[in-house]
Amino acid sequence: MALTLMLASSRIASHLRISLSHRAFSSVVLKDLKYADSHEWVKIEGNKATVGITDHAQEHLGDVVYVELPDVGRSVSQGESFGAVESVKATSDINSPISGKVLQVNKDLSESPALVTSSPYEEGWIIKVELSDAGEVKKLMDSDKYSKFCEEEDAKH
Amino acid sequence: MRSPRTSEVWRLGTVNYLKSLKIQDKLVSERKAHQIPDTLLSLEHPPTYTLGKRRTDHNLLIPQSQLTKIGAELHYTQRGGDITFHGPRQAILYPIISLRSIGFGARNYVETLERSMIEFASMYGVKARAGNKCETGVWVGDRKIGAIGVRISSGITCHGLAFNIDPDLNYFEHIVPCGIADKEVTSLRRETDALLPSEEVIHKQLITCLANAFSYDDVVWKEDPSVILDTKDDE
Repeated sequence: MALTLMLASSRIASHLRISLSHRAFSSVVLKDLKYADSHEWVKIEGNKATVGITDHAQEHLGDVVYVELPDVGRSVSQGESFGAVESVKATSDINSPISGKVLQVNKDLSESPALVTSSPYEEGWIIKVELSDAGEVKKLMDSDKYSKFCEEEDAKH
Repeated sequence: MRSPRTSEVWRLGTVNYLKSLKIQDKLVSERKAHQIPDTLLSLEHPPTYTLGKRRTDHNLLIPQSQLTKIGAELHYTQRGGDITFHGPRQAILYPIISLRSIGFGARNYVETLERSMIEFASMYGVKARAGNKCETGVWVGDRKIGAIGVRISSGITCHGLAFNIDPDLNYFEHIVPCGIADKEVTSLRRETDALLPSEEVIHKQLITCLANAFSYDDVVWKEDPSVILDTKDDE
């Protein structure tokens, strides 16, 4: 029964272009995104990028109750903090996977910070950026590498 | 076979709040650069109210101008959590820990801080529990005995926990503690009939509970606090 479910979910997953790792505590990793080792994702469309935190990140945070957003127009640098989320009385910095200029911030997160928890890849997106250096994307992980990275991190405890 | 994990512990006595922030900033940078191992600061503050990143100053119930009259300071910080009070006879631990080294996220970290305080309370026969959702912290029944407020940047923690040993609880009357209106604040003194040992012993017990909860193989007790207290105030 478990095997049938696993096969079915794998078929559904590849149809939806999601990669699933069949561990006890697996998080969603999307195939067409790039990932930073601080658990942010970026979707590149031409010279524009959308940034958020991953499912793995939101699972490990607890319910997000507050998001600190940067100002539109401010510059962001790869690996540097641009904002923060608060959960379980902890503020966690969010680092940008790419460098550029902030074009848009997700204002919905001011009213509904929980969108980061419930929909980290869709409605919980955090900023949109105009890239200043497309070459930086090479330093990020693809979905397979990121899945492996998450597994290794989770195995540390 | 994982490599052994070490923590260094500094017992600092009473430290002014802003000074403790400067010390933590320095340690966070050093930890991030792998220049130091995980470090625990054990200290107390003079009477101090602090706010978190959300700046919920509506939970301070007296005008800021009155604070000096009651002998207290107010500071805005980048930590999570709401308004709280720190003062003499409240044991504070600021762990500067690399969460990535242990694969912890904020939730695991905070839960481990809660467990440390619960374990410590049990040494005095006090049955404490972790808070319900949205009530992070440590409670005895409906009374809050331990508070948590943390900041995590690049996976390194600062700020931490505050456990009420026997502080002057009147100071809590001037705030809505942690933004929770209808719950009391309590202390170890109030919750146990056991004889409380010296501050030094109590702090050491709390540190040991935390070190156990984080499974450190080795705890190095640093003897000379002046090494990190004498930070140059030139910034």
